[in-house]
Amino acid sequence: MPVYYDWTSAKKGSRSKHVSPSFEVSSYPLKPTVISRKEQSTTSIIDHINKWSSGFEEVDPLLRFEQMTLEEDLNPLETETTEGVNYSKAWVTRRASILNKYTTGEKLTIVSSYLPGGEKVSTFSALIRQVSNLNEKVKHRLEQLDDFDESSVRKTMGLSQQEFVTKINMLNDEIKKAWETEQRVKAFKIGIQCSKLLSDISVMQFYPSKFILITDTLDTFGNLVFNRLKDKSFGNNTLVNVHNIDPRTVPESAKETCQNWMYKMASIRELLPRLYMEMALLKCYVFISKDEIKPAIARLTTMIRGIGNPLVAAYLRVYLCHNASKLLSKGSEEYFYSNLTESLEEYQQIFLPAMKKKYESQLLTQDKYLNLYVPALDWLLFGALNSNKCKSDLLDEYLQRCEHIENSELFLSCLVSAFDSPTVIKRAPKILEMVQSNADKMVLMNEVLTSLGEHLCKTENYRQVASESLIQTWWKIASGMKSTNHFLQVLESWLQFACTNLSTQHVNVILRGTIRYMVKCGKPADEFSGNFQFVVKRMLKSIPDVEELFLMDAFMPLLELVQTSSARTMMAKTVLSIFFTRYNSVHIEDHIVISSLMRLCTILHDSINAVTVEDESKICGELINKFIQAVTYQDNLERQLNFYVECRSSFIKLDTVLITLVHAVNGLSARASPARGKWLQRACAAYCFVTVPSLHCTLTKTQLYLLSGQVALLNNCIGQAEANFKALIGLIPDIPDYILEDGQKKPTHVKVGGILSDFLSTLLLLPDNVDSNCKAYILSGFIKTMERIHWKKTEPLYYSTLLRTLDLLCEMTQEHYAHQIESVLSNDKLYGGDSEFIDVLEKYNTNICQELLVVLKALGDNKETKKQYNLALELFWRVVRRGDLQQRPMMSLAANLWMLAQKVQDSNNKLAKAILSALQADNSSQSRQLLQKLEEGVKNT
Amino acid sequence: MSTNLNIILKRASKVYHEGETIAGVAVVESSSDVRHEGLSLVMEGCVNLQLSTKNVGIFEAFSNSIKPINLINTCIELAPPGKIPVGVTEIPFEMPLRARQAVSPGYPGLLETYHGVFVNIMYTLKCSMKRSFLNKPLNASCQFFVQYKQQEPAPAKPVRCEINPATIRAAAAGPRAAMPHFQIYAEIDSTVCALDKPLTGKIRVDECSVAIRSIELQLVRVETCGCAEGYSKDATEIQNIQVGEGDVRRGRDLPLYMVLPRLFTCPTTTTVNFKIEFELNIAVIFEDDYLVTENFPILLLRSR
Repeated sequence: MPVYYDWTSAKKGSRSKHVSPSFEVSSYPLKPTVISRKEQSTTSIIDHINKWSSGFEEVDPLLRFEQMTLEEDLNPLETETTEGVNYSKAWVTRRASILNKYTTGEKLTIVSSYLPGGEKVSTFSALIRQVSNLNEKVKHRLEQLDDFDESSVRKTMGLSQQEFVTKINMLNDEIKKAWETEQRVKAFKIGIQCSKLLSDISVMQFYPSKFILITDTLDTFGNLVFNRLKDKSFGNNTLVNVHNIDPRTVPESAKETCQNWMYKMASIRELLPRLYMEMALLKCYVFISKDEIKPAIARLTTMIRGIGNPLVAAYLRVYLCHNASKLLSKGSEEYFYSNLTESLEEYQQIFLPAMKKKYESQLLTQDKYLNLYVPALDWLLFGALNSNKCKSDLLDEYLQRCEHIENSELFLSCLVSAFDSPTVIKRAPKILEMVQSNADKMVLMNEVLTSLGEHLCKTENYRQVASESLIQTWWKIASGMKSTNHFLQVLESWLQFACTNLSTQHVNVILRGTIRYMVKCGKPADEFSGNFQFVVKRMLKSIPDVEELFLMDAFMPLLELVQTSSARTMMAKTVLSIFFTRYNSVHIEDHIVISSLMRLCTILHDSINAVTVEDESKICGELINKFIQAVTYQDNLERQLNFYVECRSSFIKLDTVLITLVHAVNGLSARASPARGKWLQRACAAYCFVTVPSLHCTLTKTQLYLLSGQVALLNNCIGQAEANFKALIGLIPDIPDYILEDGQKKPTHVKVGGILSDFLSTLLLLPDNVDSNCKAYILSGFIKTMERIHWKKTEPLYYSTLLRTLDLLCEMTQEHYAHQIESVLSNDKLYGGDSEFIDVLEKYNTNICQELLVVLKALGDNKETKKQYNLALELFWRVVRRGDLQQRPMMSLAANLWMLAQKVQDSNNKLAKAILSALQADNSSQSRQLLQKLEEGVKNT
Repeated sequence: MSTNLNIILKRASKVYHEGETIAGVAVVESSSDVRHEGLSLVMEGCVNLQLSTKNVGIFEAFSNSIKPINLINTCIELAPPGKIPVGVTEIPFEMPLRARQAVSPGYPGLLETYHGVFVNIMYTLKCSMKRSFLNKPLNASCQFFVQYKQQEPAPAKPVRCEINPATIRAAAAGPRAAMPHFQIYAEIDSTVCALDKPLTGKIRVDECSVAIRSIELQLVRVETCGCAEGYSKDATEIQNIQVGEGDVRRGRDLPLYMVLPRLFTCPTTTTVNFKIEFELNIAVIFEDDYLVTENFPILLLRSR
């Protein structure tokens, strides 16, 4: 049982020579850490890092597919780099975008003899119709034969898009399988059937995707043939590829096989499969003679004329050019060009009444129908543009063409999007003029205008053409547009152009016009909220000075056009987030801007309700916080405080905003000079004291109380500070052990420990409440609370708080405090070392010391020797440094603690050694005495 | 205890011209020693003719099938009777390809290989190994192809034609109620064609009041077999190639392009007993299955 030790604090003399008790340590937090690392070579380090980080760089599944297709396509055959343009890369991106864009929910049909299921279709029925000179008997026999034929054609109807893709992939696998099992003719036949599928345009909007899928299969077949011929010629030589095969070194047998394939291909009855197969086998010509490739491409170019259906023909040309680019890379441009010219010759086929009937029967609108041609024309233009011709001449030539042909919009829109910006911009007035003249019946007008706008946006400070007149012409066209969606789509890019190149007045005029248009169109703006947002986003991103936007009188009304709360919230959120990312100065001073932003923030705040997800409100909170932090009224502090008051009433639902507000007000309070008015500081303190309780998290509340109390103390508002501290003490029992942070339970004790020690050191400065009958009013309240809480005695938080309190109490007994605030009258001045006051403190000290001894024993009982040892040393050090060793009880307490520490663990511990050496260095008589006593004690044991 | 006999020609294409030497090896593959009574190689070439049932009665068609015309028949001995050791044994051979010297009347010389319906011209090498009389002789055969030497190209004979309702001899199927209005122009670069070169030309639909379904190019052989009792003449399709699918653009030249199939075509041949000729049909099929054709006789040559 521990003996009762009466605590007596040592009186430090004057602090004239400022020597803090200290001992030497070898490591401390601020010590710069030097990490020595052997530099090898920079690359190896990066490799090293990559190696270790690779495990974490799991590609997400969607991206992985994309990469897979990329890798697939970049097989060694095509990686041959081309100077200038990389066609295979361009193709891959186009391929992916086609597959994404052209999808359908319609049911598809596949006709093939190599797939299970499906109903039979008579193979010969079509053929028989053609061969007219067959007599009836033969026809009948053929049909009978057909029934026995194992490869009879089956038709599978009602396939969904996904099923269709699976079927095509099955055919692809089937080709490979047939090839591996030496059934090369079967593989050939499957290839033919696949290409026949491309003559079917029953579900037009899927056609481009179907084209991609099927040509992939044809490529597979082409590669199989090519690789076999390569093996036959050069064995397993992997260095050989399309570009370096010399036909002279190809053995005769391989040549013969290749010839046979060509003959077989040339005898395919139907035109479309024959063309597709020849294209797939195009690269095999290198085995016969390289000179044959170019004439073959030229011939195919003209043969495509035989395809009557414009859609089928257009994509056939795409495949031809794709294969040509793979083979000839740089040299293929002329074929792109010639194919483009050919398709322009056939351009009017697209608008034939027969086609119109077809797409209308499939419920396609004209713009959707025309959009099907866009990837095809785009690809042809892409290649044609790379030819050596002067681009601007080419554009002139094409534009002239556009003027002369009917229904030029499709071509025009492709032209505008395919050419590069500088070229297009030079012709911008002309293009606009062309659009204007056809505006009333033009279908793809929105596409043309959008891409033109995009081009214009790309120029920095474009001055050659009077931007103003351009915009005016554009506005005339755009304001007459019928579809609101199209209008907004076009507006997006042109608004950016206006923002970057024209004055704010002009932009404002456009915005006003937009509002008028939206009102006039008769539909609520909410239907277009998506597009509308894009427009606003672009505008915010592109305008040189974001603040100016709010100064336009049409901007806020524009934002308010949308009515539903969700759309408004989205709008407010976009505007605010872009505003803050683009706003580059720290403060917002303009009143109009502030009130506009306030309005947006209010919209954002009002959208929050019970069902709002946490992340959502977090984002809102962050945006509003940014706003609050940025607003400043310079020296008008009263106005500033009013603003904060207004904010509090507007954003009461968000805790984070309230926290920010408390911080801001505290900041304001600290900024206010006492000369300007004590009332402001009081008002600020009151604001904080009133605001904090409405928060939810106890820990945050404690923190804020402490902070507000400190600020109040700093401003010499003793009453307010005391109130805050009182509230803080009242909260301590309610602090939970764990709080939920980002979905994880986190222990609070470290934070609480920090807050408490901060609080305790603040208490040193706080003048006592003289009105109360208790000395050290707040502190004694704190100690009582500590007693009231049933903390576990062995809890480090508990005993370290006790140690700190001990520190504080000892410090408070001094005649002059270690630190003080100038205007605040601390207890040292207030009591002047009044003995009554000191006695109270010493009593507390004795109790705490007693409690600590109890803790020591409890630790010993729990066999937590390390903690016990540390605590014993800590306490020992405090007794030595803070206690008056001349008093016998203190001396014996110190000696006993040392003994305890030694008993538990040997004195080799660093802390113990440091303490000992510090004692030895001290020359005072008490220290000598103590040392002697300690040595004796050690000997006795 | 199995023995395999095989003939492998040196030339992968197996195409030979008159006067050349056919070189190759006879391969004997055996799991044990083979005793044999001599290994011989026979080169044989003949024309098989058949009368079609259309022109003569069925009975005559079978009984009177004309005797094959022998073109070449040479025999050499590859190995005298003896023993061939176990394993793979290659016996090289060379045979000159030369027409018979003592010409009988009507002997056409070495003709090009041709596979048709009523006329077939085939050349084979047959190798046979006679064995002791308990064992059957082993046989192996191998076809090879004979082509004429390439002549100097003949001057091109282009033809042009216009097809419109007025130029059409209406088919025997009676008068058609209303023929659509159309105007088609076709052109063949030459009716004298080299076998190794594709047949080219162009066709243009200038006007057509109905939709076109398909434009096709049909290669037809006309085989004539003659004998004492009479002769038969039959036209059959060799291949049919589509050059236009769907309603093609008016006023555009569509290229006609046809690669002549090997074996099924040969230079146009006329002999005492038979004739092989070729024709080309251009067929335009309208949406309602109405068919318009134009016929061009063509002359095929083995030329450069």
